[in-house]
Order: sequence, then structure tokens, then C-alpha cells
Amino acid sequence: MLGYYFQLAIRNLRRNPGLTALMVGAVALGIAVCVMTLTMYRAMSGNPIWWKNDVLHAVTMDFWDPNEDAHDQKPDLPPWQLTYRDALAVMESDIPDRTVVMHKAVGVLSTEDGAVRPERVLTRVTSADFFAAFDVPFQYGGTWSDDADRAPEPVMVISRAMNEKYFGGANSVGRQIRWDDREFRVVGVRDHWQPMPTFYDVNNGSLQESEDVYIPFGWNAAAEIYSAGNTNGWKPEEINTYQDFLNSESIWIQAWVELPDAATRERFQSFLDNYALSQKEGGRHQRPINNHLTPVDQWLVDNDVVGNDDRVLVGLAFAFLAVCLLNTVGLLLAKFLNNAAITGVRRALGASRRQVFLQHLVEVGVISGIGALFGLALGALMLTGLRALYTVDPTDLGGTQAIAHVDVTSIVTALGLALLATIAAGLYPAWRIGRIPPAVYLKAQ
Amino acid sequence: MTAWNIRPIASALWRNRTGALLVALQIAIGLAVLVNAIYVVKQRVDKINRPHGMDVENIFVIASTGFTRDFDYDASWRDDLAYLRDLPGVKAATLVSAIPLSGSGSSNGFTSKPSKPGDDTEVGNNFDVDEQAIEALGVELVAGRNFAPHEILPPTDGYEFAPQVIITREFAKALFPEDGNALGKSIYDGLNRPSTVIGIIETMHGSWVGWDKLGQVMLIPRIRSGPAAIYMVRTEPGRQAALMRTAEEHLATSNPDRLLRWVRPMEYFVHQSYLDDRNMAIFLTSVTSALLAITALGIFGLATFNVSTRIRQIGTRRAVGARRLDIVRHFLVENWMVTTAGIVAGCGFALAIGYWISIKYELPRLDLYYLVGGVLGIWLIGIAAALQPARRASAISPAVATRTV
Repeated sequence: MLGYYFQLAIRNLRRNPGLTALMVGAVALGIAVCVMTLTMYRAMSGNPIWWKNDVLHAVTMDFWDPNEDAHDQKPDLPPWQLTYRDALAVMESDIPDRTVVMHKAVGVLSTEDGAVRPERVLTRVTSADFFAAFDVPFQYGGTWSDDADRAPEPVMVISRAMNEKYFGGANSVGRQIRWDDREFRVVGVRDHWQPMPTFYDVNNGSLQESEDVYIPFGWNAAAEIYSAGNTNGWKPEEINTYQDFLNSESIWIQAWVELPDAATRERFQSFLDNYALSQKEGGRHQRPINNHLTPVDQWLVDNDVVGNDDRVLVGLAFAFLAVCLLNTVGLLLAKFLNNAAITGVRRALGASRRQVFLQHLVEVGVISGIGALFGLALGALMLTGLRALYTVDPTDLGGTQAIAHVDVTSIVTALGLALLATIAAGLYPAWRIGRIPPAVYLKAQ
Repeated sequence: MTAWNIRPIASALWRNRTGALLVALQIAIGLAVLVNAIYVVKQRVDKINRPHGMDVENIFVIASTGFTRDFDYDASWRDDLAYLRDLPGVKAATLVSAIPLSGSGSSNGFTSKPSKPGDDTEVGNNFDVDEQAIEALGVELVAGRNFAPHEILPPTDGYEFAPQVIITREFAKALFPEDGNALGKSIYDGLNRPSTVIGIIETMHGSWVGWDKLGQVMLIPRIRSGPAAIYMVRTEPGRQAALMRTAEEHLATSNPDRLLRWVRPMEYFVHQSYLDDRNMAIFLTSVTSALLAITALGIFGLATFNVSTRIRQIGTRRAVGARRLDIVRHFLVENWMVTTAGIVAGCGFALAIGYWISIKYELPRLDLYYLVGGVLGIWLIGIAAALQPARRASAISPAVATRTV
């Protein structure tokens, strides 16, 4: 029976091609706009490491200005980053399974022979646990030892892209490469890895490209590397040397820990509180003790990774879809009532209300289905357009480039919306037409 | 002829209330979206078009980094600046610690009197520059004087103050709220080190376009610290693109100990800083236009349907003496009633959404002018969309009434 309804639907739709195109177009446009905004929204708001949400925690401590909160809007939250000495204290603790202390830097990569053009690369100066804590995949080799962080040893992990560029994609573990004016030995090649948003350092932008180079944390003090990201201070301090900077109240280091269970979390929390208390007793700061261990999803919320613009756009997209569907309901109603005479004949010949209802619902389903297909194609097209809008420099493949594409979730979203559209737009007209007393239309003949 | 025949029109409308209700709902949503979209777009466009005080179109920026052990920063910037300033068509060139309107920079707290810890400070966006900065940025010095070459300090690690500074009028007003007159006066940094304000700039924007103190800028006479250098170069009008290429070719090979990171027009940074605002404006405008177009289609569809189901009634009315104008008027009035019902509901929606947006964006409440404008716009769209079906209805021949099928 459904096959027959399907045939009927196709025949009916072909009878009024203009009207059909209008309805398909309205559904397609509504779905396209929704797919586009939802794809963007999901990329912004998703938790790219959800499987470790229970164990990964951002570490923040409040040593900020006693007279002014770090965030006007969120006075109860500590600043997003740590001072150098507080980062060292976090690093010293052996309570967490893994500890990541790190900051952003820039350097110039080059080789001894100068065969490849030197390139300025984004660099992460980090402790060895970065890769294991964030589940970063390796193409060759692996991370360095904890001792290499303290010494520090001249070892380096490079990205797959840099490995292609400097070593032709071969296994480069053990090879030498120069970062600024120092020789480093490659110990690992990071495989493709681009979390969206870049949860581990949202303070420096939530849609950043992954770094090309990683070097041990100890190199900041040894090579006097400043942060290439945000450095904030509240205290007027005399800073004349790099050592002054390390000792200052400037915050510039991000810290993450992996805590396997609630008991460990409590132990680490009390470790932090005791540390803060000892600092307070030493006269360092006068703010109430306020140390936070924040899971990734909460961290993204705290940092306002999803902006108001994104929320407004999603709201707008659904308002748009609603208008498209209302439109379709109106058109369907008009179309069905126009063909009421034929329905009257069907009813008179014995079709039940249920059968008439089902027949019309199939017709709506066909319209929504075609609309969803076109909507998906149109949505992909719009995302391409969106990518163009966000491209400032075609050679600079920023974060938006990576997120603005249609994937499985987008397709599922489109199909879900089409189903919703069928139900929302088709139910009433199909029911209404089923209620028609056949006699009225038979009489007119 | 009775005045407007509202009663029969209303009763005809009531017989097909579902269709009318659907269209009215579309109009309600359309109005709410239209009014708020225009409000938000206006905010963004105003933000993008604020005067920034600089000659952005004729400036290009060069970034260079020394990376070998042999690199001599001091010699390098002297060579580069000498070369750039000698180029025919270049008005001026300066070393800067950060690029205005680029999203990166440095800010510190300053006071007009020596301060104690905990005292309020005024935040200024400070840039280290040399004596050609005023000319190279194209900002207008409205009082006082420029830096003299001998006042430019050597590089230091970290933040330092200088004996002389130049500030914007807006920063002067913030520091000296009584009369806004800062020229010749001392101001103090966080460590209470004093400096004399020797010049006032009319307007200059700092680094962060989303910051409410964007106009509080201070120029400090100092060479930025190495081994990375940023030069801003201002050319005569229209020569920026050509000179950019010339400079890039020369500097890329002039010193093997450094990497020429990039040479870019200043517009690149401004464009990037305002990218989200611009794209939001484009996005809102296009989606709202599409939404209104679909709403207009809905109105058109309803009117067409109403005409096509009432052919015989129209013919009958024509046969008993109604003029074409009466038929057109019937459908326009009917449509106007639907539109107006939608508008009444839409005003409520519009104000509710406007309230939500004003809280989210911390903007003033939606101005009622926007609502009035939106209502007038929707009325016009409604009439325009119903006009064609109404005229087609008026063309129906009275003879239709006499036929049975």
C-alpha cells in the first residue's frame, strides 16, 4: 500500500511543478540554514576530549589583585592562567597521574645546511605529559622523559607537516633540527591532531591551529622564552631581567592535571589549598583561598567559548526554519483542499480516513525528503561561502577553515530536521483532508 | 456604497482561518527577526565605521625575526629603517612594539598623581615607537610636539617608562577628568615613575577593537626589544601596494641572519579584527532577507489560494455591480487584516527578543523607532505581495457566475 501512496505522491507533485518547487525550496532553505548554523555551533561548543571529561582538570589559583577581581562578570573565578612559581608547585606534586604545565611561544625552525627555507613556527613549551594527557597521536617516536623537562634536554616533538617539510616525511626520530639558535634532537613526530575548540589554551583563542613544535618546559627559564600568548599582571613590579619576570605575579602559564578518581581529586585539591595557605602565611597575597579544578566541559563554559553571536545565530536559524515550515503547511493545505474533489471520490469508493491521512502524509514525506537532500547540498554550499567570509589570507589556514564542513552529524541533523518537518508541516493538512465529508465534493459534480 | 465592508471581508476570512493564521504567524516571526536584526546590524556597522584616526589605507607592516647567533638586532633595525625611509614614495617608517587594531598589544595602569597600592588607575594601551611614528601612523597631533630623535630610548626587556610620552585626547580626558588638559603635566605609571605629556593626538585606536577603552592610547619613545622587529611604513596615497612588493623583495634577502616573516597591508589586521562583526552583519542581513522573501511568498500563496477558491463568488459580485476596484480592495483589505494581526503578535515577540538581546550583549534596550520602521516595512511587503493576486481577481469576468462547472 505504501508503494502505491508513494506513486500517487509523485504523480500529484508532478501535476503542480511550480507549487512543488516552492514547497521543496522552502523546506530546503530552512534545513540548509539550520545545518549551517548548527555545524558551526557544534564545532564551537563541542567538547573535543569528552571521553576524558571526568579525569582532565584545568588548574587555577587565585593570587590576583586583592583590590580587584580577575573577571568583572565572574568574580568567584580565579584568573585563567598561573604564575611561573605556582606552575612549578603544581609540577612538583606527584598526586596527579599526569601534569601538564605549558605556554605558547614562537621560534624559527631551520637546518644546519640551510637546504629548507627557515620557517617561523608556533611552539608549545610544555611538560612531557602533554601528549598522553590530551591523547595526542604520534606518527613516529613519542614524548620525552620527565627528566628532560627539568634538565632541560634539547629534545623536540614536531608536527607531521614540519616532518614533511624538513625530512620529506621520513621517520626523523634522532635527527637534528634548529629552533632559533639551538640544536634540538627530534624524539617524536605528532600525527594529525586538531581539537576544536582548542580547549587546552582557550585563553589564547578557541580556534587556534595546533602547534608545529613542542619543546620541554624547562627551556623557558633556560633560553629565556617569553609567552607568545597572553601575559597579564596586576601588580606594579620592577621587571628588568628574565629572572624578575619569572618571580613576578605575571600570569602566563596554563596547567592541566589528570586525576583518576574523586579521592585523588580531593587529595590534590587539599594539596593546592595547603600550598595557597603557606603562600598566604608567607605574606604573598591577601585574597581568600580559591583554587579550582575544572573539568573540560565546565572550562569551556567558564571561558565563554560559545559567544552570544553563536547563540543568536542558532535562534535565528530556528526562527527561519519555523517560517519555512509554516509556509509549507499553508501551501500543503491549499494544495490538498484544491484536490479535495479527488479525495472525495476516493472516500466515496471506500478509502478510510486513515488511508487518506496516510496517503497525504506520504506525499508530505516525499517533499520533506527531497527538501532535506537539497537542503544538505545547499548547507554545504553555504558553509563553503562561510569559509570564504572567514578567510583573510588564503595561505593562513585558521581554525574556522577546519570546522566549516559537512560531516556525518550534519547529515543526521538534516535528516532529523526533515522528519520533524514532515511531522510538523504534514500532520495537520493530512488530518484535515481526511475529515472531508465525501458528499460535499461529489455533489458539485 | 458602504464605506469599507469590513464585516463581509472578516467573515470571508474566518471561513479559511487556518491559512490566515499560518501567514499571520509567519509575519509575527518575520517582524520580530527583522526589527532585531536591523538593530544588531546597525550596532556592528557603527562599530566598524568608528573613526580610528590613522591613515590605514596607505600603511603596510613588516615583521622580521633574527634567528641565528650572529644576528645583530641593533644594526639590523638601523639598516632596515634607513632603507625604508629612503624609498621614494615612503612618507615615514617607524618601529612599533605592536600593531594598532591587530588584537595584540600591551596595556598598563597610569595615574595623574602618585598612587598607593589599591588606588584606581586609568588603563592605557601603550606602544613603543620612534620619532617618525606620528607621521608613519598618520595620526593628527593637535597640541604639543613630537618626540625628538635623541629622546628615543634603547630597547629593554619588559615594560619601562620614559621621561616623555604622547597620549590621545581621550586618554587625557580619562586621566584629567576636570578639564581634560594633560599637556605639560606629569603622569605616573604603576611604580610611580613620572613622565611628562609632551603631545596630544586627536584620535588613535589601540589594539583591541572589542575593548571599551580602545581610544586610550599612549606612545612611548623607545626601540622595541629584539630579535623580532615590526615596522610600520606609510606611503604616498596609492603607492602602498607597489612599495610593499619592492620592500619585501629587498628585505627578504638583505640579511641572511633573519627571517622576513611577512609583509602585509595594515588593512589586513583591521579586516581581521572586525571579521566577526562584519560576518555577523552579512549573515543577519542575508538570513533576514531570505526570511522576509519567504514570508512574502506565504502572503502571496494565501492570497492566490483565496482568489482561486472564490472565482464564482467574485464573478457573482461583479455581475451584481461590484467594480474591479472593489474586488482589488476586498483582497487588499483582507490581506491587510491578516498582516496586522501578525504585526500585533510580532510586536510582542520583537520586544521580548529585543529584551533578551539587550541583556546578552549589554546593549541599550531596543529603540522603538526600529519597531515603527519594521511595522511600516511589513505592511508594505504585505500589500506588495497581495497586489498581483488581487488584480488577477479583479480581472475575473462576471460571466463566470453564469457557468456551472
